[in-house]
Amino acid sequence: MSADLQKRAEQAVEMLRAAGADDAWATAAQSRDVEFNYRDGALEKVKDTTSRMLAIQVYANGRYSSHQTTDLNPDRLGGFLKEAVDITGALEPDEQRELTSPELFANRPDVELDLVDGSVQTLDRDQRIDWCETLDENARLHNRVISATSSVQDGTQTTASASSNGFSGVQESTYCWLGARVTLSDRGDRRAADGFFAGSPHVSDVPDAASVASTALERALIRLDSEKGPTTKSTMVVDSRAAAQLVGRLMGTANARSVQQGRSFWADIIGKEVFSPKLTIVDDPLLVRGLASRHYDREGISAKVLPIVEQGVVKNLYVDTYYGRKAGMTPTTGSASNRRIEPGDQSLDALLSDAGDGVYVTSWLGGNADGTTGDFSLGLRGHMIENGQIGRPVGEMNVTGNLRDLFARLEAVGNDPYPYSSTLAPSLVFADVDFSGV
Amino acid sequence: MTIKRRDFLGHVAAGSAIVTMPAFLTGCGVQQATQIATPTPENPFMSWFGVDEAMITRVMTELTANGADTADLYFQHQRSNNLSMEDGIVSRANTGISQGVGLRVVIGEQTGYALTEDLTLGSMLAAARTAAAIANGTGEIAPQAYNPKKMGDLYTSSLPWSDVGIDRKLPLLKYVDAEARKGEPAVEKVSVYFSDADERVLIATLDGHLVMDHRPMTRMSVMLTATKDGETQSGYSNVASRQDFTWYTEERLDRMIEEAVDRTMILFEARRPPAGEMPVILAAGASGILLHEAIGHGMEADFNRKGTSIYSDMIGKKVAEPFVTIVDQGTIPKERGALNYDDEGNECGRTTMVENGILRSYLHDSISSRQYQVGATGSGRRQSYQYAPMPRMTCTFMEDGPHTKDEIIAAVDHGIIAETYTNGQVQIGAGDYTFYVKNGWLVEGGKVTAPIKDVNIIGNGPESLKRISMVANDAKLDTGGWTCGKNGQSVPVSQGIPTVLVSSMTVGGENVS
Repeated sequence: MSADLQKRAEQAVEMLRAAGADDAWATAAQSRDVEFNYRDGALEKVKDTTSRMLAIQVYANGRYSSHQTTDLNPDRLGGFLKEAVDITGALEPDEQRELTSPELFANRPDVELDLVDGSVQTLDRDQRIDWCETLDENARLHNRVISATSSVQDGTQTTASASSNGFSGVQESTYCWLGARVTLSDRGDRRAADGFFAGSPHVSDVPDAASVASTALERALIRLDSEKGPTTKSTMVVDSRAAAQLVGRLMGTANARSVQQGRSFWADIIGKEVFSPKLTIVDDPLLVRGLASRHYDREGISAKVLPIVEQGVVKNLYVDTYYGRKAGMTPTTGSASNRRIEPGDQSLDALLSDAGDGVYVTSWLGGNADGTTGDFSLGLRGHMIENGQIGRPVGEMNVTGNLRDLFARLEAVGNDPYPYSSTLAPSLVFADVDFSGV
Repeated sequence: MTIKRRDFLGHVAAGSAIVTMPAFLTGCGVQQATQIATPTPENPFMSWFGVDEAMITRVMTELTANGADTADLYFQHQRSNNLSMEDGIVSRANTGISQGVGLRVVIGEQTGYALTEDLTLGSMLAAARTAAAIANGTGEIAPQAYNPKKMGDLYTSSLPWSDVGIDRKLPLLKYVDAEARKGEPAVEKVSVYFSDADERVLIATLDGHLVMDHRPMTRMSVMLTATKDGETQSGYSNVASRQDFTWYTEERLDRMIEEAVDRTMILFEARRPPAGEMPVILAAGASGILLHEAIGHGMEADFNRKGTSIYSDMIGKKVAEPFVTIVDQGTIPKERGALNYDDEGNECGRTTMVENGILRSYLHDSISSRQYQVGATGSGRRQSYQYAPMPRMTCTFMEDGPHTKDEIIAAVDHGIIAETYTNGQVQIGAGDYTFYVKNGWLVEGGKVTAPIKDVNIIGNGPESLKRISMVANDAKLDTGGWTCGKNGQSVPVSQGIPTVLVSSMTVGGENVS
C-alpha cells in the first residue's frame, strides 16, 4: 500500500507541475478504521471503514493555495489539479510563501519508532467481541449502574508525501484503544458518569479489558453524591489526565503563527524565566511507540527533540517555515508531537498529603482561555482535599486566573505521567488558585 | 409568541451589494466537479453521483441480506472553499472535495456501518457486505423503485456557491480589512476568513424513499489585535448562514466589523467579576448557548433511551415557569442549523421541548422514534458520509416572555450580563453545564456599571431551568457560526433566546477574598 500511495503523491506533484505550478507538495493517505461498540450486554454498533484522500499544496507565480479531495476518480483528478493551479493564480502574491527548504529535510532520524503492530491489522471479530464482552461485564459490576457503553477501536493509517524539491517519505502507524463509559444512578434525577480509555500503537501495550473497565467504573463511582464546592482561594492539585489538558491550554499559542499575528502571550517571554523552575516541557517526536511519534512533520521538517520550557525558562516555540519567515524566527516544527512534562519524584498521594487542604481536580468541564493575554476560566470536577487525603466529591465549580501566572506558581510535579495522551503530563500542584462555587 | 421571521432573514432583500466585483477572472475558481441543473433533471442520480436505481437496489439488497429494520445509503458530495487574509493580503485559499457513500443497516438498537469513496458498483457492494455483517438473519426485499420526495426550499438560491469565483469573494475580504483598520488606530492586526460550501446529498432508504437536498453554507469572520499603552488584546466577530453571495451586503459587513472592534476595544477596560454565585442576565441572541447546553443535549433521545440523561424520566413534568417555552426547529429558512430533510431522509420540523414550563418531547432519530413509538422529529444528523446519524439539534431557541429587558436589568442588585460566548459543554448525566463568556457587564443596583471579560459560568440544567425567573419579549437568533460536537461528529447549529434572568449561577472570577 505504501508504494501505491507514494506513487500517487509523486504523480500529483508531476501533474501539478505540468499544469503550471512552480512548486508542489502532495500527500496521499489511506486509513482503515474499525469500531465495535457494546452496550449493556449487547453489540450496539460495528463500523468498518476504509478511507482515502489526496492533499496538495500549490506554489505558482509567488502565490500559494492548498486543496484536498476524497474523489480520486482518474477522470476527474486531472481537472481537480488543474483547477487548483488556476485558483492559486487568482490570489495575491506572498513573497514569504515557499516550499520548505531541503536543508530542513536533511538528517531525517532513522531510529525505529515501532509504530506498526501487525497484530492490529489481523484482529478479527471474535477478538473484538471478546474484549467488548469483558469490558461490558466489568463496567457493570455495581448495582447502581444504569448503562455502560464499551468500545474497541483500532486501525492503520498510512501517509505518503512528495514534493517538487525532493522530499519523499512514508509514515505508517497502527492504533488500538479500549474503553468504557459508565452511568450510575445518583440522588434524584441525577446520574454520575465517567469513563476511561486506554490505547497504544501496539496491542501488547494496551491494559487488559477488565482493568480498563474497572478503572472506568471506579471513576464513575467516585462522582456519586458530588456537590458544589466553595468559593475559595487555595492550593490546586490536578491529576495527570486533567494536567495533560491544562498543559495543552498553556501551549495553545506557543507557536510562530500566533506570535506573528499578535495573539500570543508567549511573544514577549522567549528566553525569559517566567514559569516555575519546576516546569520543563520537551517536544519529543522520537519516543518509541509514542502516540504522536514521527520521523518528519507535516511540511517535511526532520524530527528532533525540542525543548520548549527548561526549568521555567522559555527555550523554543513551534515555528513552521511560513510564519517563521514572517516573524523572523528559525523554523523548528510547525506542530506538536509528543509533549513530555518532566516528572518529579513524588507520588500523587504524597502531593495531596503535602497540600493538606485545597481542591483536587480530576476533569475539566468547558471553559476557555484567551491566548493573547493568558486569561482563563475553566469548569471543573474533583474532590476537596481534607487533611491531606481525597475528600468529598465536588463539581459545578470554576477555576479562574491567568495561565502565565498559574504556571509561575507551579509548586510540585508528580512522578506519574499520563500514558494515554500525546501530552505526557504528571500530576501538578499550584498555589493560591481562585475557585468559584457556593 | 414566535420569533419574528424578519429577524432571521436580516437584510437579504436589501440588495445593496456595494462591494464591486470585477470580472477579470471569470470562470476561475468555479467548480466543475459536478453539474447541477435546475430544475431537477429527470434522473438526478447520474448527474450527481453516477449511480442509478438499479445500482441502488443491488447495493440495498446486499446491505440488507442478513436482515434489517431500516437501512439507508447516504451519498454526499461537498465542495468547500476557504480564503484567508492576513497582513493585508489574500494569500491563502483552500478547497476541499468530500465525496462518498455511507451504508447503514439497523436492527433494533444495533447498527452496522461502512463507507466507500469509490462510487463504483463493486466497491459499494463490498462496503454493503461489511455493514451487513452486524446481522445474521434472513434478507429483506429491497425496493425495486424509489419515490423521490419533493425538494425542499428552505435555502434555495439562484446563485449557487459553485458559480461564484474567487474574483468576486476577494474584494469582500479586502473591504473588511480596510474598514476594520479605518476606525480604530489601536488596531494593529486584522485577519479575515471566508468560507462557503455546496453540499449535495442523496438518501435512499429501505422503505423506498429517495431524498435529495442541496445545502449551501457560508461564514465570514474577522479577528483583530489591538495594542494600547503596551497592552495587547484580541477580539472577534463572525456571521454564518445557508445564504448565497448576495447576503454579504455592506451593511452586514459593517455590523460585523463594528462588533469585532467594540468587543476588542472594551477588553482594555474589562475586568473579572467577583467569583461565586450570583444572578446572571443572558443577553438576547447568542445566549441561546444556555438552551443548547442546559437542556438541548439532555433531550437528545439516544441519551434518554439508554437512561443516561438527567431528563430521562422527566417528560410531562414541570421543569420551568409557565412563561418558558423552548423549541428546536430545523425549518427556519436560511439559518445555519436549518435542514429541509435530516440525514436519515425525514422531513425537519418543529419540536417543542418545553411548552409553558412542561417538558414535552425529546429529539428523535429513527432508532429512538421506533423505540418510543413516536413520530420522527427530523433530528437524525451526521457530520458526513463517514458517520452514522444520531439525534442532534438544529436551531434551538426560547420564545418571547412577558417581561422587558429594562425590567430585568432593574431587578438585579448585584450580578452580571453575559453577552458574547466562545463555547460551552455539558455532562449529560449530572446535568452540569458550562459556557464561556468572552464579553459581559457588571450590574449593580439595577444599573449596568462596568465591562467584564473571560469568565466561565457553570450551572446544573434542571436547576437553571427552574431559576429562569424573567423572560423578555426580544427573542432573536444569533447569526454567528455555531458548530456542535457530539461523539466526535460536528454539525452546524443555530441558537437564540430573548433577554433572560437566571436567579443564580456560579460565575468564575478572580477576586476571591
